[in-house]
Amino acid sequence: MKRLTAVAALLSLAAVAACSGGGTSGNSTGGGGGVYTTVDINKPSLDVNAPINPWNPKGNAFWGYNAMRIAWAKNTLTDPNQFYPGIAASWEIAPDNSSITLHLQPGNKWSDGQPVTAEDVKFSIALAYTQGSTAFAIDPGAAGAASDVEVVDDKTIKITQDMKNPSVTFVRGVMDAFVVPKHVWQSVVPGDFWDTLKTARGDGPEAEAARGQIKALSEKVLAFAPAQDVSAGPFVLKRMNPGEALLVKNKNFYNAANVAPDQLKLLNTTGNEQIWNYLTSGKLDNAPFTAVPADVMKRIKATPGNQVIKGYSPVAVSLAFNQSKKPYDNVHVRRGLAYLINREEVTQIASPEGGTAAVTTSGIHQKAAREWLGGELDTLEPYKLDPAKADKEFTEAGLQKKDGKWALADGKPWKVTIHIPAPFSDWVSAAKAITSQLTTAGVDAEVVTTADYPLYLSELAEGKYDLGFWLIALGPAPYNIFQRLYGSSNGWNILGGKVKHSAPGKDGNWMGGPESIDVEGVGAVNPGELTAQLNSVSGDEQKAVIAKLAKAANQDLPVIQLWDYVNTQFVNTNRFTGFPPDDSDLLRQPSGVWIQLGLIKKKQ
Amino acid sequence: MSATIVPEAEAGARAAVRRNFWRGVWRVMRRKPSRMAGAVILAVFAFMGIFGPMLYPDPLPRDTSALYAPPSLRHPFGTDFEGTDVLALVVTGSRYVLLTAVVTAVITVVVGAGIGLFAGFRRGRWDTVLMRFTDMKLTIPGLPLLLVLSTVWKFTGAAEMGLVLGLLGWGGVARAVRSQTLSLRERGFIEAARGLGLSTTHIVGRELLPGMAPYIAMNALIAVTGAVYAQVGLFFLGVLPFEANNWGVMLNLAVFGGGALTTTAALPYLLAPLLAILLLTLGIVLVVDAMDEIFNPRLREE
Repeated sequence: MKRLTAVAALLSLAAVAACSGGGTSGNSTGGGGGVYTTVDINKPSLDVNAPINPWNPKGNAFWGYNAMRIAWAKNTLTDPNQFYPGIAASWEIAPDNSSITLHLQPGNKWSDGQPVTAEDVKFSIALAYTQGSTAFAIDPGAAGAASDVEVVDDKTIKITQDMKNPSVTFVRGVMDAFVVPKHVWQSVVPGDFWDTLKTARGDGPEAEAARGQIKALSEKVLAFAPAQDVSAGPFVLKRMNPGEALLVKNKNFYNAANVAPDQLKLLNTTGNEQIWNYLTSGKLDNAPFTAVPADVMKRIKATPGNQVIKGYSPVAVSLAFNQSKKPYDNVHVRRGLAYLINREEVTQIASPEGGTAAVTTSGIHQKAAREWLGGELDTLEPYKLDPAKADKEFTEAGLQKKDGKWALADGKPWKVTIHIPAPFSDWVSAAKAITSQLTTAGVDAEVVTTADYPLYLSELAEGKYDLGFWLIALGPAPYNIFQRLYGSSNGWNILGGKVKHSAPGKDGNWMGGPESIDVEGVGAVNPGELTAQLNSVSGDEQKAVIAKLAKAANQDLPVIQLWDYVNTQFVNTNRFTGFPPDDSDLLRQPSGVWIQLGLIKKKQ
Repeated sequence: MSATIVPEAEAGARAAVRRNFWRGVWRVMRRKPSRMAGAVILAVFAFMGIFGPMLYPDPLPRDTSALYAPPSLRHPFGTDFEGTDVLALVVTGSRYVLLTAVVTAVITVVVGAGIGLFAGFRRGRWDTVLMRFTDMKLTIPGLPLLLVLSTVWKFTGAAEMGLVLGLLGWGGVARAVRSQTLSLRERGFIEAARGLGLSTTHIVGRELLPGMAPYIAMNALIAVTGAVYAQVGLFFLGVLPFEANNWGVMLNLAVFGGGALTTTAALPYLLAPLLAILLLTLGIVLVVDAMDEIFNPRLREE
């Protein structure tokens, strides 16, 4: 389950760019009534004492249910510019991405009866600034940040991008903002906030002080707890206990006529096995992405009404190297290991239902890779299991083989130590399977677990591990895909609009790869700079950069791509119908979004 | 007990006592077949711990076409998530578990009995200081402390693990041994030994300790079960280094990876280490029962 949270959290990081708009959906009136039961992918473990606050990590504001974004991203394979309406009913994006004008849902009201206005959106943007986000960042020179927020009229608001350092992630950054009622949150932000923000954008000590003031508000915003839920979403939080949160339909919601369930229950879960048990008893109307062993899958499918929906999930898992540690600084060692890992077998053991073995290491999920690279995907080295090639690579790296076991160049024993967070059972199985494969091939290997995921990530970032599991390909925005390989974790940061490379061990650079890579057929490339370019280029130019980066990742192997996730979800059609079909982009949003768009209907 | 006037005669007498002792042991064991079973179980585990890993190739063979295979003649407890024989995992994993348990038991007993004897025998200030220290130690909850410790200390070896568990577990033994010592030191034979002017070392080592040996031995065995539960529990929670054949890791992977509590496929994978723990506990309980009778004169006289 924790894995699931991590994947979800990373998915929500994936930011993107924009174009078209959307309209309100379906006018048909669905038969109402009933209780819809699910688990919130973002907050599987409930905290009764947490505030009803969308910015608080434990907050009881559940995205899509009683917390609303401006719009809901579709996260499509290659076009990151598509959204479903949220607080905004439609929008216009300037052709050069320089601004976006939002038209709010007409007639939308908060659950306490007050109208949802452009002022609410502007106020919520102020709150977003205190937390820092792609579009609403106070750091000077941040790419894709807004420069102006202008209320055009009661239902229209225009947000302009700072074109000194534009990014295609701007629109996605805007759309991802949460909207909360100004009349409830008013006390959190001082009246002169926008003036302070203006000062903060400048230079000098005054600006520095202003930035400090805004950052200081962060804690206050995170801790703010409204006395009761005032929601512009399809539901309002009514009550909670440690086992579940009960939400009731928000009669004032703009599309309330098409919101089928009268009530919604979010169940508390502490582990996958709990979700498996809920599913086998047919209790859940929808369960978000959950790792499921093959036999449990059979049981779940056998429960009347249960159905499996599969879709694209822009996430892949990889085995990442810390290249500042020997012998992993040698590309031949990394390639040799890639030839010894049977990815099909690893996937079959670790994630038979939730993953597809990676076709190769390209840094991109195979579905998106096909779209971005086309035939070029087939020209990449597939790193199929081939012990002979591995031997050749290891020999080339200068490793020595003694009594069937590989040792370091200086004759010292070599042990591949793979680190993983203990709660991710699929990663544990995968890491074990990999060590078994390596040991059989004469490479001594072991698995070391870390107690939890946050600790794992911090130790990984501190450069404590030689090899560790690492989520990559976090699409759909190409920049977000490749920054997992050639971003801050590998030394490249974008500061003040410029790409800066930090030495291994500094500024979060734990991958420790070289600054320049000689790519066969391309020449010397600086992959971090190429990745940063993905923010500004588009069309064929973008494809060309992606092709170069995929080649670089394929030849240089900063990671070995293991499997690409499949978004496997479960629904039960006994009580409700109208669930999104296989491959629907809605599968990447919680069922609250399906419900608010009017898709879910009560079963007659 | 005293003197060295007729060494040969004493040696003969000691040999006779020893013979009688073993005869007594045999009699006690025979009286209840369950005690024999207990001894056999412990012998099997000891054999498993010492020779088990030598019986299987390293690394253990895998059959990736038979993941979570059901029990069969070839795999009496089925296979795990990567097709490794579960029985082989239990057998090869027993060494770590048992070694930790033995180290824990030794440390628990040595530290606990040492402190208990010293405090009880010396009384006074030493007793007060040591017992307050023991009380303090007893108030610290073991598992939460271990959880915290495990985040900063990777227990890589069985000895390290045993050391930590032992250092956390001696409190109870120290308290019990102290109270026994307090009671025994007032008995006539100790007074007599004192009257004879024997050294403290002699009194503690030759007069007090033998009387408490069975009690301490039983505590050692009980410490073994405690250590097994504690370390398997820690591994089950996933806070310790990963070893595929560790019983706690097996339980963890069976439940959280294989869904053993939801479906039957991974059930043998779950049951095998559980059964091993159950058998080990049973063996210890039965042997402790036998020891009780062997060493308790009142029970022996019946």
